Amino acid sequence: MKGDYLGELEELVLLHVGILYPEAYGISVMDEIERQAGRSLNISAIHSVLTRLEEKGFLKSKMGDPSAERGGRRKRIFLLTAAGKRAIEEANELRTQLFNQIPKVALQFKMA
Amino acid sequence: MKKITPPKWADGFLMWYCRPDVLEEIQGDAYELYYRKAEENKKLADLQFIWNVLRFFRWKNINKTKTKHYPSQLSIAMLKNILVVTVRNFLRQPGHSFLNVFGLSAGFTCTILIILWVAHEYSFDRFHAEPDRIFKILTHVEANGDVQTYGVASCVIDLSSVPEAETLVSVSSGDRWPHELCFRPEGKANECIYMNGVYANENLFSVFNFPILEGDQNPLKGSANIAISEKMALALYGNANPVGKTIKIDDTREVTIVSVFKNISSNSTLQFDFALPYAILKKQWGINDEGFAQNFFNMYVKTNTSISAKQLTKKLNDVRVVTDEHKAQKLSYQAYPVTDWHLKSKFEGGKNTGGRIEYIILFIIIGGLVVIMAVINFVNMSTARATLRAKEIGIRKVTGAVRGTIIAQFMGESFLLVFFAFALSVVAAQLMLPLFNTLLTEPISLNMVSGLMPLYLVGFLLTVALLAGIYPSLILSSFQPIRILKNQFNSNTSGSQRFRKSLLIVQLSVSIGIIIFSGVLYYQLNFVTNKNIGFDRSNMVRIEPTFPLLKKFASFKNELSKDASILGVAASNVNPLNTGGGNTGVSWPGKPKDLRISFKTIGCSPEFPETLGLKILEGRNFQSQPLDSLRTEVLVSEDAVKAMNLENSIGEEIKIGGSTCVIIGVINDFHTESLHEVRQPVILYHTDYEHVSALYVRYQSGSTQQAMATISKVYKSFEPSFTMKYWFQDETFDDLYKTEIIASRLILLFTIITSIIAGLGIIGLATFNAFRKTKEISVRRVFGASVAQALLMLFNEFTLVLIVSTLIAIPLAWYAADHWLQGFAYRTPMPWWIYFITCAGVVTIIALIVWIQGMKTISASPSKTLRSE
Repeated sequence: MKGDYLGELEELVLLHVGILYPEAYGISVMDEIERQAGRSLNISAIHSVLTRLEEKGFLKSKMGDPSAERGGRRKRIFLLTAAGKRAIEEANELRTQLFNQIPKVALQFKMA
Repeated sequence: MKKITPPKWADGFLMWYCRPDVLEEIQGDAYELYYRKAEENKKLADLQFIWNVLRFFRWKNINKTKTKHYPSQLSIAMLKNILVVTVRNFLRQPGHSFLNVFGLSAGFTCTILIILWVAHEYSFDRFHAEPDRIFKILTHVEANGDVQTYGVASCVIDLSSVPEAETLVSVSSGDRWPHELCFRPEGKANECIYMNGVYANENLFSVFNFPILEGDQNPLKGSANIAISEKMALALYGNANPVGKTIKIDDTREVTIVSVFKNISSNSTLQFDFALPYAILKKQWGINDEGFAQNFFNMYVKTNTSISAKQLTKKLNDVRVVTDEHKAQKLSYQAYPVTDWHLKSKFEGGKNTGGRIEYIILFIIIGGLVVIMAVINFVNMSTARATLRAKEIGIRKVTGAVRGTIIAQFMGESFLLVFFAFALSVVAAQLMLPLFNTLLTEPISLNMVSGLMPLYLVGFLLTVALLAGIYPSLILSSFQPIRILKNQFNSNTSGSQRFRKSLLIVQLSVSIGIIIFSGVLYYQLNFVTNKNIGFDRSNMVRIEPTFPLLKKFASFKNELSKDASILGVAASNVNPLNTGGGNTGVSWPGKPKDLRISFKTIGCSPEFPETLGLKILEGRNFQSQPLDSLRTEVLVSEDAVKAMNLENSIGEEIKIGGSTCVIIGVINDFHTESLHEVRQPVILYHTDYEHVSALYVRYQSGSTQQAMATISKVYKSFEPSFTMKYWFQDETFDDLYKTEIIASRLILLFTIITSIIAGLGIIGLATFNAFRKTKEISVRRVFGASVAQALLMLFNEFTLVLIVSTLIAIPLAWYAADHWLQGFAYRTPMPWWIYFITCAGVVTIIALIVWIQGMKTISASPSKTLRSE
């Protein structure tokens, strides 16, 4: 099923939601990604990823408190679900596993 | 510090498209980013906000379920309900509904009348076959450093060098002898029926669409033929067939009636009841072909291909067309589309400067404004009214109506009312047509609605209904049921309040503008009527004499003078009120060779200056027996003395055309044309009674009836078989300003209508305001506000509206009025008091309406109004 597959950007966002706990919402995720990964993304892109992840069941959300800088509007705070946690773990595991299988020779670069 | 907010429209756009469940977070994020950026740079922040809003515009975020679909929103039952509710609402407040519909139908009536009139004016001369191939030849003559334009051209113009010119029509028309002739019905030798006709060459009936009903299709071929109109046939022969009968012209020349043509329709520039060949005219005038060739008539060319007027004009001014003699007179021709002549016949300096078309445009604008005002009124009153129906809308919505249904309901009401108002206005227009026609002195009727016009009318109605319905229906359908039913809806009417005020500004500006304009117009016409034109035109009647009467002028005058009410009798060859073309053939000692000045030359009897009321400033009057039989005695006006630059004018010898004249006196200046034109120098020359065209009788002021009785009696005793034709000079004077007078009457009519409509609008708004502020007034009253203070508060609602509309109206009215006044060579200074009085009047009327409407609310006991809820 398509829902099980985790895209690269999705994984990035999912990780950041985890990092930012319990203050992960659109803008904080966007800022954090820019800070950590150096990738500048439009807020609308972050939003669509977040909603997609919520639909897939990797994230859940609740409305936060209203704040003045948002014109009195509330934030939607995102939290990792168990499925979300498992998804990151699996992705992480898969990556380490695969990385470890790379022969050492292939990673030895010499200045030719 | 000014509060920084993101661009409103972008925010609005976001709110419009965004799904409500995600709107809060999206908007919140957008705002947060905005404020963060705005701290460094407001402009950039704005741009970023817009960019973000656009980026958020994604399929997922768009609100897709705007209306839930119910099966068949507009069922028959629903439509029936709308109809029933409309009728009930209409009847519940009959006064208000009447005002609403009345305002709209007044506007429609106005428009219908204007459309009919404009259609009539535009239809002029278009009924001919291939009207765009018929051209009228105009003549431009340079004189006094100016170019005069005449609607006539040389009757012997030779167009053989212009291959495009297929046929040439030459028509001689006029309104006196020999164009106006006395005909006697069969067997009644003493009865005289005056008919006006033309002399023309034989192409008249083939080029123009004047259908011949009976007899010869080419009646002007023979030299003793006449074609008469149905009307003339009926007047002379009743129902008998006149073709083949002979009839006498001037009781002497016998001609045969060879054809009867259809009455000339009122939208033709050429109007005539009979047509005669030129052979007769030559005999009437007693001139030979050579003398005849000197004449200028209405000339029309029909071309065989489509050619532009410009190209044709160029060919008309070819050396082979304009004769050397005419060239010496600085004369040139212009081909002018025959269909343009009626509307665009005013020329200045050889260029067209409008004509009736100016009035047509003016009235189209006025008609448009009146409709706009009526629609605005309708919208205003419907909206004001509908706010009172908020509860109905609340209930409807609660019981399941969606926005679409409410819109359909109010649109439906608007359509019904608009069509009802239109039906009323058609009836009103039909009833008003006779009155309107007397204002116009031209017959128009609803029958002229033809061709595509009904289609346009339906389109127009649909547009009006849509415009009138769209605002109320959108505003009202947006009400939230919960707020309405909790009585909290007032808060969202402030927008519509502002909207209604701006509509009122438009209305008031238009009304104030039109009132001022018509005030200036009347003021100028009054100025024209009261201006001293140099002689006395009142208490004077002009009589058309017969030739035998002129021969017996002395005894005619004697008979008249026996009556004490008759003060003087004189004769001249042109009417001094309207002398027509000038004479450039005047020369005097020391006249520069290149100078061309046009003089008005009037041939008259010795009694003429005194009877007219002209003052002889120097020298003497004519004597009944001239002292010098070789030289014609002339009197000149001061203008003429100046124009000729003579030091000692008396006794100076001048030449008019070929004849030698001597100046015997100087008279005061007087106007010989309408005040549109600059006053011209005048020369009066002594002429025989046999050569005059009209007799002028001055009578005692106030004894018109007695004088007229005497004149008719004496005339009858001299000319028993002729009916006397006469005109009062002051009426002739008014005729000079016929267009202006008609326009002023129409404008007065429309001024009244627009004022009524604007008044209705103010009444509507004042009532609504008083109603809306009932509680506020009561509270103020309880706290001790006086009646005057409460009224002032209500009036203050209009202060801004008044100021803005005066500021808009005054410059526009000034511009229009000034432009119109420019058309007169003699005009009043701009009457600023009219501006002041109009504005003061408007303020007073508004105050009065506010007072009347407000008093009802104010005088009610505050305890009652406050306790009601």
